[in-house]
Amino acid sequence: MNSTNRVLNRIILFVVGIVLLALGAAVVTIIIWPAAAKYWTGAATAIKSWTEAAIADTTVEATTINGFAMAILLLIIILLILVILVLTHVGGGRSRTVLHASGQQNPLGHVTVQESFVSDALKHSLNNREEVLFSSVSAKNIRKQPVLHLSVTPRQNTSPRDLVEDLNTLVTNLATLTGENVPTYISLHSGLRAKLARNQRRLA
Amino acid sequence: MSTQTFRRIVRRETHSPRTVAMIIAAGVLIAALTYIGTGIVLYMLAQPDLLLGLPSAVAWIIGLPTVQPEWLAAISGVVLGLLGLVFLFLALTPGRLPKHQMKCGERAIVVDNGVIASSIAKYVSDETGIPLNDITVGVSHRAADITLRPRIGARLNEAPIRDLVAAEIDSYRLTPSVKTRVRIIRPYESDLDG
Repeated sequence: MNSTNRVLNRIILFVVGIVLLALGAAVVTIIIWPAAAKYWTGAATAIKSWTEAAIADTTVEATTINGFAMAILLLIIILLILVILVLTHVGGGRSRTVLHASGQQNPLGHVTVQESFVSDALKHSLNNREEVLFSSVSAKNIRKQPVLHLSVTPRQNTSPRDLVEDLNTLVTNLATLTGENVPTYISLHSGLRAKLARNQRRLA
Repeated sequence: MSTQTFRRIVRRETHSPRTVAMIIAAGVLIAALTYIGTGIVLYMLAQPDLLLGLPSAVAWIIGLPTVQPEWLAAISGVVLGLLGLVFLFLALTPGRLPKHQMKCGERAIVVDNGVIASSIAKYVSDETGIPLNDITVGVSHRAADITLRPRIGARLNEAPIRDLVAAEIDSYRLTPSVKTRVRIIRPYESDLDG
């Protein structure tokens, strides 16, 4: 869970996909279909002469620098900057502070619970459980609201219903302890770790 | 706690972000734009171009219908088009991940299909006495397929097992809901011989 803009991802994929598809289709069409080839040659020649005229009109005296090429270059640079901006905004959204118990009248001031405290408390409880192979706790900011993410990989053949009920109780107890009910999101994972571990709980 | 935020979390967790594909597409875009941009700059400075000078590139594009060998150009076109189709497919399909939402209390819960499948397998094994190795469970977006391979002599009916599993799955309260299908396979021929 991060704050990647997924709509933007899809838009970029869509645009690049359409352009590539159009290019591919055009190349195949003009090679297979003579009428299209004729049209292609005509159109391309027309565009070429129009571009040449534009270059000639905007060329700075005694140089090869011209306004038309500069404009296209500027457009390319803007596009490049936009794409790089999108790439640098992938991911993110992690938060260190889980909750501020600021409502309480406390002579010492505000109480702030850090992610590490919540993480330690939950992990400590989960490590005692035989059916939990791996757990991780993180805090995320979702729509400017801190959300706790509890990710658990149980052993194979563990009932998700029973496990989730226990996790739910655990989080509720933590909420009672800290005095604030942080929105919590729980995910149960299968995977290599679960497949390689023993199916059954070991008997002590 | 707003259910809207939870709905957003669950939706994001059960669908692919398409970030990897986007980065590849962006890479293609950056490479193409950089190449064209460099070409324009070199042309304006009247320097020799990287691979193909701008004027000869233009001439090549105009002469594209007569490019030789024809089959190579056609194959390149097909490859470009297919790549475009793949990107379009990724852009437009929902990209559902093999996960289900589970309802329990007020929290947002997402469970991998693998966890559900292995739990059902264990449940069926406990209830019927069939060894875990002879039970195969596959959970997909809308269905759970349970395949049983009972040992020789054991008689099984599909209906009671289906009801059993359906009740267990119902107790998970999954979204979207999952239909149960049970299949019982005859023992291996080799088992009969032995």
